[in-house]
Amino acid sequence: MTMRAALRAYPTLLRVGLAEAVAYRAEMLVWMLTTTMPLVSLALWHAVAESGPIGRFGPRELTSYFLAGLIVRQVTSSWVVWEMNQEIRTGTLSLRLLRPIHPLLGYSAENLAALPIRGALSLPVALAMLFLGGSEGVSRFLDDPTLVPMLIAALVGAWLITFLLMCAIGALGFFMESSSSVFEVYLGLFFALSGYLFPLEFLAARAPWVMGATRALPFYYQLGFPIELMLGLLDRRAALRGLAIEWAYVAFFYLLATRLWRLGMRRFGAYGA
Amino acid sequence: MRRYLRLFFVQLRTSLTTGMQYRWEFLIDGLMALFWAAMALLPLWVLAGTGREVEGWTHPEMIVVLGWFVVLKGLLDGAVNPSLMAVVEHIRKGTLDFVLLKPADAQFLVSTARFDPWKMVDLPAGGAILVYAFSLLGRAPDAAHIAAALLLLVAASLVLYSLWILVVSAAFFVVRLDNLAFLFMSIYDFARWPVSIFKGAMRLVFTFVIPLAIMTTYPARALLGKLAPAVVAVVFLGAIGFMIVARLVWVRAIGRYTSASS
Amino acid sequence: MNSGGSSATVEVEHLTKIYRVHKRPPGLAAAMKSLLRRRYEEVRAVDDLSLSIAPGERVGFLGPNGAGKTTTLKVLSGLLHPTAGKVRVAGHVPQERQAAFLKRITLVMGQKQQLLWDLPPSETFALNRAVYDIPRVQFEETLEELTRLLEIGEVVGKPTRQLSLGERMKCELAAALLHRPEVLFLDEPTIGLDVSMQLTVREFVRRYNERFGATVMLTSHYMDDVAALCPRVVVIDQGKLRYDGGLAELVRTRRPEKRAVVGFERPVVRAELEESLGGMGRVVEHSDGKAVIQVRQSDLKAALAMVLARFPVADLTVEDPPLEEVMRELFAGEKPR
Repeated sequence: MTMRAALRAYPTLLRVGLAEAVAYRAEMLVWMLTTTMPLVSLALWHAVAESGPIGRFGPRELTSYFLAGLIVRQVTSSWVVWEMNQEIRTGTLSLRLLRPIHPLLGYSAENLAALPIRGALSLPVALAMLFLGGSEGVSRFLDDPTLVPMLIAALVGAWLITFLLMCAIGALGFFMESSSSVFEVYLGLFFALSGYLFPLEFLAARAPWVMGATRALPFYYQLGFPIELMLGLLDRRAALRGLAIEWAYVAFFYLLATRLWRLGMRRFGAYGA
Repeated sequence: MRRYLRLFFVQLRTSLTTGMQYRWEFLIDGLMALFWAAMALLPLWVLAGTGREVEGWTHPEMIVVLGWFVVLKGLLDGAVNPSLMAVVEHIRKGTLDFVLLKPADAQFLVSTARFDPWKMVDLPAGGAILVYAFSLLGRAPDAAHIAAALLLLVAASLVLYSLWILVVSAAFFVVRLDNLAFLFMSIYDFARWPVSIFKGAMRLVFTFVIPLAIMTTYPARALLGKLAPAVVAVVFLGAIGFMIVARLVWVRAIGRYTSASS
Repeated sequence: MNSGGSSATVEVEHLTKIYRVHKRPPGLAAAMKSLLRRRYEEVRAVDDLSLSIAPGERVGFLGPNGAGKTTTLKVLSGLLHPTAGKVRVAGHVPQERQAAFLKRITLVMGQKQQLLWDLPPSETFALNRAVYDIPRVQFEETLEELTRLLEIGEVVGKPTRQLSLGERMKCELAAALLHRPEVLFLDEPTIGLDVSMQLTVREFVRRYNERFGATVMLTSHYMDDVAALCPRVVVIDQGKLRYDGGLAELVRTRRPEKRAVVGFERPVVRAELEESLGGMGRVVEHSDGKAVIQVRQSDLKAALAMVLARFPVADLTVEDPPLEEVMRELFAGEKPR
């Protein structure tokens, strides 16, 4: 399928995907409710910060940080790895392969279409955050109009890294039975090094070199970077540098995912479902 | 009784045989357990860098709580959750009736249906965390305190199991049990910190309604020797009470299920 | 069986497909051992298969379970790569999975569905219109026609999960045919359906074939499907071609015997009947007022004359043995050497 034909098909894919997401809204709400980790982390650090702020973070800043984390996680999430695993296992992947459109494109549409619903469901959290942040949060965006496009670029980049990385791990399912363990390792590293469990600055006191390393690894750009951008914790220079690294990772994982997928298809053709 | 013991071993054996079929799972699950245990320690390690106490808990003491958290998680993932998923499958495929037709207690059958032996590697991992915590404290726990803690571990298992029975019972009333299960798993994550870091309503909920405190905080305090024997007794009795309630709810749920389905 | 030139829609030459599967021994001890050392086994799913199908043909693909039918269909639709041999479908090499190829074929699997479970089939149709890049006018025309032929006007707006198995299969067919494929691979399309629904699906496939001149290759457990739909059958067993030709010839060559169903005015003793037949044939079924006699084609006239002369015959019909039986005989009689 040519790129132009694929682009013509994409809006319909998104529309049908959205209809499907609406049909599954109850499940999605439960799934979102299971994202408790930011709140678990918040409980700990909030209690710690009550005896005095940790670096730049007092109790209020921590609340904003983890609520923002909750939102970023919701609107940049992907579950394509589970979908691929299941389709490879049950053989329904065959039906996808019979269609004259690249399967990864199909997955991306399904995934993307569900995000507005997730965004809408996490709106209350966003409102709570706005309330907590008060007028200073709003005025920050008014003072610097470039913040909005930068934040959007950061969120899109975060989603693309997550999605493409998952596609790459999912494609490993063609080669090995235990691709889900690879995914688990990824998930663990993501938790540890993305700023999900604590603002990465907290590492500075304990292990500065680890904190330095997180800036070079992709995980920070999936979560911590958009959060910090949202909360105004980054100056213009740091924001632009972050965006550059983030999008370099997008390109890298794009190449990796498509390449692994191509190899995987060859293998799937030889062994079948 | 002997019949049930034999049944238990038959079911365990089937699970083991199934587990054996997956070549690398054993090794990988073991490594993963260590990996996740390290991940769980990470926030506390960072916290130690700030040199602060939290609500009167020192860094090693919090690690003791975390150790119990990992131990209980091993029980949850290895014994409780797989059976839960088996029930989910039964309900989805409509084969639960077969279980109810068998001439043995249904609660026993469904709760021993499946084990995931590899997931139990969390048990030694949790033990290792406890040893590490006490090496930081620079002392060994008293024999009496260990006994009290083990007693509370039994209580914690009872509570965990009872919660599980309640969740399965709920499945007879609401449709999507798997969602409930995931929800429960993610709420369990709150048990990794001492319950005292929570304030107000949350603390009450985690002590009495979803007694996460009984699962991790109390055994930890007992092991540290910070729990009066009377409290140990009360918690233990509370756990038994909880289990009786769960059994009653289960019996009611089964009654409703069998009378509702034709 | 060499195909003549490029006029054939499906051309298969010496196709072989070998899988390597992991052997899982039963028992705890053996499972322990296989943790350390894994044993593989080669399965020859398709073995040196050659055939050629002309445009517009309807071919029934028969064989016992595990004969390699589904594997062959998957190779033909590009999902599996051949281990050896050459395959061409509609002028393409299937395994390259070019979009142009995928737009010209369809594979319907009775056991798997592409309909989106929680949405009405119409949404899947819309999705396929986009994916297959079908011009709107053609889409509406085709959809209208399929809706009429399959009588699904009422159900396309309901969520798929609320449809009956038969309704679902009909919508599945519509979804698979919206892009007007020239080649239809149907793998057990009537599985699990009741008799009347089987008839509907069968009739639909025949009409689609006639209306669009599409080539149809069909596997089915129900011999009736094949008998009603396919003038030509291909029989494979253990991956090897056993028969390729007309259905009528298959029945004739494999079972040159005919069956006479005789109704009697009053009860007839079985032994008496058998004795009178002598070496001409045998009684395969017997009840008080009825008997089924199986005789060689060449002896049919003589045997009937004898029965009519000696017994109080009320009515008499002659038929071919059921296809199921022919198949059973074929696979039982000719085990691979």
